[in-house]
Amino acid sequence: MPEYSFLPRIVPLGVILLDFLFLLVAIPIEALIMNRRLKFDKRTSSFYAICINLFSSVIGWIIFFFMEPMLPVRFKSELIDYIFFNQIRYAYNIQTLIILTAFIIFFATFLVKYLLLRVMLISLREPGKNEQVSEPIIKRNSRRNYKSKLQNTNVITSLLIGNALSYSLIVMILFIRAAYV
Amino acid sequence: MNLFFRDILGPFKIFEGIYARIRRIVVPPKAYSWQTLLYLSIFSWLMASLSTGYITDIIAICGWLFLIAGTAWYTTDNPLYIPYTNMPVGAVITGFLVSVFAFGQDKDVITSRTMVLWPTIAAIITAIPEFFEGTGTDVKTQVPRIEERQKIIVLIACCMVISCWLQFYFVVDNWVTKYPSVQVDNSKRSALVLRRESTVKVPPNGIVILDKLVPQVEDQIAKKPWSEVEQWLLDARKKVGDLGKQVIGTNLAEYEERYLWHVEPRISNVKSGYKLDLLSIWVGPSANPNGYYLKKSCRIDPMAVSRNTAAAAVKKLDDTSTIAEIECDRTPPKFILGTPPPQ
Repeated sequence: MPEYSFLPRIVPLGVILLDFLFLLVAIPIEALIMNRRLKFDKRTSSFYAICINLFSSVIGWIIFFFMEPMLPVRFKSELIDYIFFNQIRYAYNIQTLIILTAFIIFFATFLVKYLLLRVMLISLREPGKNEQVSEPIIKRNSRRNYKSKLQNTNVITSLLIGNALSYSLIVMILFIRAAYV
Repeated sequence: MNLFFRDILGPFKIFEGIYARIRRIVVPPKAYSWQTLLYLSIFSWLMASLSTGYITDIIAICGWLFLIAGTAWYTTDNPLYIPYTNMPVGAVITGFLVSVFAFGQDKDVITSRTMVLWPTIAAIITAIPEFFEGTGTDVKTQVPRIEERQKIIVLIACCMVISCWLQFYFVVDNWVTKYPSVQVDNSKRSALVLRRESTVKVPPNGIVILDKLVPQVEDQIAKKPWSEVEQWLLDARKKVGDLGKQVIGTNLAEYEERYLWHVEPRISNVKSGYKLDLLSIWVGPSANPNGYYLKKSCRIDPMAVSRNTAAAAVKKLDDTSTIAEIECDRTPPKFILGTPPPQ
């Protein structure tokens, strides 16, 4: 019996709002940390934070869309159970898998964010000035080289701290949600 | 008198104004304008509807290109921005046309991909003019200023996230198609999804499984010698399970949820014979944490064969003188919440 209605059958509005909330949590934290530790000005650091978070979110979604048809039915069933009925059955040792996935997601996001930051740094460079800046660096001695290396480690640590803080807050939000909803 | 005429002619003045406005929109001010492109597009469509074969496609593509170019031109003439963003409404409209043109199929003009990629295409269309400089006649490429670049990148990122959310909607909708049994009993509401009140109270696939399974079980039992039937019942778990797998494989092939249904028998003694309950059990997601199952009962009784109908059988062995008789419920299967009873 096909029933016709212009309303969609199901709208994952909560998931979308939750994703939006995660972005709202992660962007200011990472912007703050970039501002404090990497000494970007406020505008630039918020730009970098917005971009790396939005694009990493997009990349994550795309990976999910590619993985989703290939997932085994029992995992998909657990996922549907969580999204549709807000419960997890914990059958088939799903906990270990959840923890493993979370672990992979954390480090994958970190890696993706680092690469995206690299791309963003290139995207804001003035094309004309590029060669003029790069030439003196080669001529300078190894101390300069060491300094740029130090800066790179600083970028990595700041990103790691920002990522860790935002993920801890997101996990806290999820726990609070699980406790009260 | 003069005043009177003006009163009469007043309404006509209004029409005159409207006519002038329509005229300004419809008649192109010069040959090189957006109206011309729209007329060319309408003309191409007319031609395309008259022609046949692959020429139709070629002309139709030209029509699309004219339409897209005309719309883009009209909307960039006086850009109207979406509030609080740097995205012109024109880019959204042009993006929609481009998306329909690129991803629409012949049968349904608007596919899910059209909707999903619309925001991203609109953002890219917004970004393109920033890379060009100058008037329509002499154009040179440029790299926009840093602030402009930041705005464009953020806009594209936001639109891509929106595209992902739209795609997720289609993924969830696809789940409902592939797993129709999750629509049953959505009394427990999840904050993560909004859904319509479902009219499905009993999973249709569970009913299909039992309805197809019962005749096959009846075939295997009815009119068989009683000792053979008792042997069958001892091994019923495997026999019914195999039959169930076969039934699910043939009848639920189009649904992915077929892996989440399985069939089990429950056998109990009643005073003269056996009671065989056939259960189709759902192990997938459901509002009730213990799941649910559907049940159909059959009664199996021994029946003595009268001499005249089975004269040939009597000659062989005494055992064959009783055969089994099976009678299953004609009513629809019972829908029961909770875990099925142990055997």
